[in-house]
Amino acid sequence: MDSLITAAARALAVGDALGALKRVALRDDAPALALRGIAMAQLGDLVRAKALLKSAARAFGPREAMARARCVVAEAEIALVSRDLTWPPKALEAARKVLEAHGDRVNAAHARNVELRRLVLIGRLDEAERALETLDPTPLPPAARAAHELVVAGIAIRRLQTKAAHEALDRARQAAREAGMPVLTAEVENAAHVLSAPVARLISRWRESPLLLEEVEELLGSGTLVVDACRHVVRDDQLSVSLATRPVLFTLARTLAEAWPADVARGTLIARAFRGKHADESHRARLRVEIGRLRAELRGLAEVSATKRGFALSPRRAGEIAVLAPLVEGQHGAVLAFLADGEAWSSSALAIALGASPRTVQRALDSLAGEGKVQSFGRGRARRWMSPPLPGFPTILLLPGPLPSD
Amino acid sequence: MKKSAATIIREYGPFPGAERVNGVTFDGEHVWFASGDRLNALDPASGEVVRSIEVASHAGTAFDGEFLYQIAEDVIHKIDPKTGHILSTIPAPGNGGDSGLAWAEGSLWVGQHRGRRIHQIDPETGKILRTIESNRVVTGVTWVDGQLWHGTWEGDDSDVRRIDPETGEVLERLDMPEGTGVSGLESDGGDCFFCGGGGSGKIRAISRPAQGKEGKGK
Repeated sequence: MDSLITAAARALAVGDALGALKRVALRDDAPALALRGIAMAQLGDLVRAKALLKSAARAFGPREAMARARCVVAEAEIALVSRDLTWPPKALEAARKVLEAHGDRVNAAHARNVELRRLVLIGRLDEAERALETLDPTPLPPAARAAHELVVAGIAIRRLQTKAAHEALDRARQAAREAGMPVLTAEVENAAHVLSAPVARLISRWRESPLLLEEVEELLGSGTLVVDACRHVVRDDQLSVSLATRPVLFTLARTLAEAWPADVARGTLIARAFRGKHADESHRARLRVEIGRLRAELRGLAEVSATKRGFALSPRRAGEIAVLAPLVEGQHGAVLAFLADGEAWSSSALAIALGASPRTVQRALDSLAGEGKVQSFGRGRARRWMSPPLPGFPTILLLPGPLPSD
Repeated sequence: MKKSAATIIREYGPFPGAERVNGVTFDGEHVWFASGDRLNALDPASGEVVRSIEVASHAGTAFDGEFLYQIAEDVIHKIDPKTGHILSTIPAPGNGGDSGLAWAEGSLWVGQHRGRRIHQIDPETGKILRTIESNRVVTGVTWVDGQLWHGTWEGDDSDVRRIDPETGEVLERLDMPEGTGVSGLESDGGDCFFCGGGGSGKIRAISRPAQGKEGKGK
């Protein structure tokens, strides 16, 4: 490595992006391009950063596989932070393997962390947990360890394991302090905010109130029969039945649960489940069929019995029934849930994250925009969607050092 | 060209507070190495760092028998090792793309990293007197017994090689083991080279082959 590159890399390492740029601003050799890319990323110009890192990766010679791999990891991290989920994960995996093969454990771990963050972001928690087991954070430098613990916390939060989340966040806070990086500490605090802000609403016959993550966890462990409108499942502490692909059945279950221990009139059920204004004989026949299906689905959890005017739900084991509802209700809740991370998403990235078709997502976004619940900026392929910022998934940027010969 | 595997005699470091080794030189007693914001004097017998000078040190280091020379950003500082004061400063010939510094025959020899060449410069003015082309990235330069040696490090491959100072032809090559790079090179005047190990933070002593020590012939 040459003198100015070393000086610039030292400046970058202590967070002096301008100092780094000053030293290599006029140079177009591969390491200079890579450093400029990372400095621009730290300064928030992700578009320019991406272009610089791409040209740096091209400019490194055939013997400099490791330097090229570090550029790819940095590009992947920028893609993740800008919610560009179309960026190929295979390229990141290949780069990680190159770094592992060359004994660059720190940057290989960083690459693994970016992979994990992507999996958590798109809700592939099982895969993320499996990948997590293969990574031992102990030998990592503090900044990388903090980033790792944020991923662990992210998974625990989505798994509703508040204790594990608190512990991971404590470790992340400690590591961020050791790293001496205020940005990182702020990122940890931002992530921790999720634990002290309401995440859902409880609707029961006693009360309707916002719930903290911790309270949600308590509720689910309390033996109450919960009709969970965030995940579209019905569960108690022993059994869980997903109705995610049966929207009519879920609506019926939720309507019955909200009324419990009272029953619900047929007309009300028909109006809620079929959106029919008038209940005619054919609707009544269809309701009977759907109630029969619901009864079969919920067999292990609750009984659905006919009453004089309609139907009523009664739990098999649980003493109580409650409904867990999202903070913001309405159609396209899943789209809103992703946008709630406060980042700017492309509709194609949302489609990947939701596993839905781009057309479906586009329609959902258009109607949400009509209601003023989301906003967009940019045009064409550069168009991005946002919702008013809510606490969400960390957006930390800890790019690797893409330097050769080192 | 003679080609053989480098023999590592001893490894020093990594040293606390010195993440990298950017350059090395030898003053007859101590190995001086550049770690970014300091020059450190290592006792090669005990393996201990015995003193440090606070000075920017981003690449090659050299010793002329009395003073230290240190590349920092795009200049070369001349430093009094006794006081640690910077006595004078000249521009580096590679405009900051410099890597590797040696003193010999009244001149400074500066490796230019990606420029793949070695400049001979006037230590008073920094004027380029002559340029020797190499075919590899130059990281570390040293003279011993009339032989010009330099380190190379490109990606996975690193070696220490002797070149003809007139033509740049490679005469002899010592391949470093996989995963060990050379950032900075200095002879101890005898059978041993000290090699900086870049981001590993280590300094490695390797042996100089016994043949051809008498002068610079081919």
